[in-house]
Amino acid sequence: MTSVDPTPPEAPVKEAGQNLFQRFTFVWIVPIIALLTVFGIAIQNYLERGPLVEISFENASGVKPGTTEVRFRDVVVGLVEDVGFTDGLGRVLVSARLDKDVAPYVDSSAQFWVVRPQVSTQGVSGLNTVLSGVYIEGVWDDQPEGMQPRFEGLPDAPLESLGEDGLRLTLRAAGKTTLTPNAPILYRGITVGRLGKTRISPDGVAAEAEALIFKPHDRLVSSATRFWDTSGFSFSLGPSGAVLDFSSVASLVSGGVTFETMVSGGTPVERGTSFVVHPDEGTARSSIFAADDGERVTLSAVFDENVSGLAVDAPVELNGLRIGEVTALSGLVDPDVFGDNRVRLVVTLSIRPSLLGLEGEDGADTALNFIRQRVSDGLRARLATASILTGGLKVELVDVPDAPPARLESGEADVLYIPTTESDIADVSATAQGVFERINALPVEEVMEQAITLMENANNLITSDDIRAVPENLNGLLGDARGIVNSDDIQALPERLNAVVTELQATVTRLNEQDTVTRLTAAVDSASEAAEGVSSAVAGIPDLVERLNAVAAKAETVEIDTLAAEFTDLLQTTESLLASDAARQLPEKLNGALAELGAVLEQLREGGVVENATSALASASEAADTVADAGRELPDLIAQARGVLARANATLEGYEASNGIGRDARAALIEVQKAAKAVASLARAIERNPNSLLTGR
Amino acid sequence: MEVVGELKTAREMGLVGCTRCSRVSPMGTQYCPRCGSALQSRDGLSLQKVWAWWLVGLMCYVPANLYPMLETRTLVSTESNTIVGGAVELAQHGNWGVALIILAASVLIPVAKFVLIAGLAIGVWRGPQVSGQRRHFLYEVVEYIGRWSMIDVFVVAILSALVQLQALASITPGRASLFFALSVIFTMLSAQSFDSRLIWDTQRRGDAPDHGLASDDVRKESSA
Repeated sequence: MTSVDPTPPEAPVKEAGQNLFQRFTFVWIVPIIALLTVFGIAIQNYLERGPLVEISFENASGVKPGTTEVRFRDVVVGLVEDVGFTDGLGRVLVSARLDKDVAPYVDSSAQFWVVRPQVSTQGVSGLNTVLSGVYIEGVWDDQPEGMQPRFEGLPDAPLESLGEDGLRLTLRAAGKTTLTPNAPILYRGITVGRLGKTRISPDGVAAEAEALIFKPHDRLVSSATRFWDTSGFSFSLGPSGAVLDFSSVASLVSGGVTFETMVSGGTPVERGTSFVVHPDEGTARSSIFAADDGERVTLSAVFDENVSGLAVDAPVELNGLRIGEVTALSGLVDPDVFGDNRVRLVVTLSIRPSLLGLEGEDGADTALNFIRQRVSDGLRARLATASILTGGLKVELVDVPDAPPARLESGEADVLYIPTTESDIADVSATAQGVFERINALPVEEVMEQAITLMENANNLITSDDIRAVPENLNGLLGDARGIVNSDDIQALPERLNAVVTELQATVTRLNEQDTVTRLTAAVDSASEAAEGVSSAVAGIPDLVERLNAVAAKAETVEIDTLAAEFTDLLQTTESLLASDAARQLPEKLNGALAELGAVLEQLREGGVVENATSALASASEAADTVADAGRELPDLIAQARGVLARANATLEGYEASNGIGRDARAALIEVQKAAKAVASLARAIERNPNSLLTGR
Repeated sequence: MEVVGELKTAREMGLVGCTRCSRVSPMGTQYCPRCGSALQSRDGLSLQKVWAWWLVGLMCYVPANLYPMLETRTLVSTESNTIVGGAVELAQHGNWGVALIILAASVLIPVAKFVLIAGLAIGVWRGPQVSGQRRHFLYEVVEYIGRWSMIDVFVVAILSALVQLQALASITPGRASLFFALSVIFTMLSAQSFDSRLIWDTQRRGDAPDHGLASDDVRKESSA
């Protein structure tokens, strides 16, 4: 191999490194800028990094470090960095890095909980977390009060989870009401609130739930508001047919509570006020006038008597005021305490302090002290009749004046026994039976039979043709009478009467002229004397009364039975009289008599009755004259009256001597009987000859 | 290989070639008489540029692998995967082929590029361990294959453009895609910055170290 041209021209070589720009390429700027950017971003990130909060949870299922977000109003404001345990592994400790902007707001008001998918009767919530994984939701108020580094996570979403503000209440379920967690609170069918978690109240007698009434509906709630349960349905069969009632299908399934302000004038309620949830609307409405169910005092009473009629819910009364109910009944056999093997009735009484007017926090204690005091003063429990008709019983607390000393004893298991006393049970059944027996013994049937026969007779009498003919005859009679009244003579009668009156006036004038006044004074004096005589006679009356008493005593011994028997005879006689054919024919004869009467009146009209009347008036005038004369003789008359009074006095005295009134009475009765018989014979006579009634023979 | 003895570089012949229009001018000519571009027998700052671009490319390659490449949002879920994570997931689902393609395009090729460029630069600087022809071949490969690394970025771009069904499903490029694109660009720049003529110089010098700045010793030929 040969080299062709070993000496090529010299290559010009630039001197290296005259200055910085020639020695280094500008490309180095690029990595420097990149590095600066990286460092800048790193420093910025570090400086803008938010604070770390530690939240402890019961469990942290689904929480992953670096993935699980912390959200506020569904906006990511932080990221979980670490998941660990608290000291002692009691709880899970989640460390989360929060954004710097929101950190100051995460103060003591902040609450955190893990949002997980939930399927309940209210619906499905947190569905997005099924695939995206759980996240931690936080809620806090809008006041930046400095960040807190540690929090207790809530097991479930709190009521304010939706960021809804409102009025927080505590609802207590009374009776058989059930509270469903997270159930809606409806007002006229619109959801205005929500229930929170339910729990048992501290005293263990009711279920409680936090409730939130959203704004602005919280103004609907006042102290006069009553809540009731709308879940489930009610079926009633009444006079208006069958009624199936439920408020909505949703609340039928999921449960719900509604409320209404029953009366106006309620005061606004404060946050945390407790309300009772009633089982239905009716109860809620009636409760507005009854005291709220508050705490209760439970007492027991042991009754020696085992009386049926006492039932659960029977009232417990103090001085007639209902203060509670009977809540349980049971038997008790305790030979050690009572000394025998009888079963005793143990009644559990539930007393509401609010009905005693003892409300408030320590109402129960105050009521218990009150009852204790009253028991030592003689307050005792007893059974009493609540209803005469049903025989239902109630428990009464009554003051027994001379009760043996006793006090509120506490027996087993802190049961307080109130001492008892004898029951006050009216034996209604016995009394009623007596009444019925007496009613039974009445001779109702005999009376009825006699009444029936009487009615039959009366019926026969009334339906007879003669009686029917009576109105016609009466009509004729009235026509005749009208004829008489309309006659000219009768018309002239007033004028004549006038003349008589004039004469009478003259007579009176004459009387006035003849010094009547003096005589009258004398007459009054005499009357006064007579009155004195009477008053002395009156002095003897007490004696008379005593004697009359004695007479009455004797009269009691008289054989009334005999008398009664005779009366009975009399009645029978009368009856037979009425039943006789003669009595039935009586109307017919009466008819005849009326006809005759008509004839008589006819004769009277024809005869000068009016003239006779005129002469009679003239005689009256004369009589008036005689009266005038008699007026002059008045003193004599008064003297005679005195004599009569004296005699009456003597007669009264004479009564003292006579004590045979009983006998006389008997004689009188016999005479009455005779008279009755005479009436009978009279009736027979009338029957034979009715005309004799009119003719007087 | 067999032509080693006869082969002479332009520099050895006292000439300088125009990198733009390939006209050969006598050494010392400042500007190409045909196209007017500056003539340079050797780019003295070539290795500096290579290293600078290479470094930036590497810096971009780190976040490109740490951040998610693709964010897939469907109705119920949001999924984001890094390059390697996505490939592993595909492999776990049994799509070995796709996983291998992704791994090759996004991991193997870029990493190979970094290694090759660094190797070439070190070879120029410290002296080659392999023959000049092989190095030149490798350089050609790096130059050629560099643009294919962008296939990942294209896939992301096409998917993002196609799958935009509002709430139902949408695909958006992740942060890594930008860094990955930058990394590819910077490595390509790095490869281009490499003055392949330097390979010949070191080839002539045999095992002698050459930092690339000094272009003397040209005369010290290896006569073999």
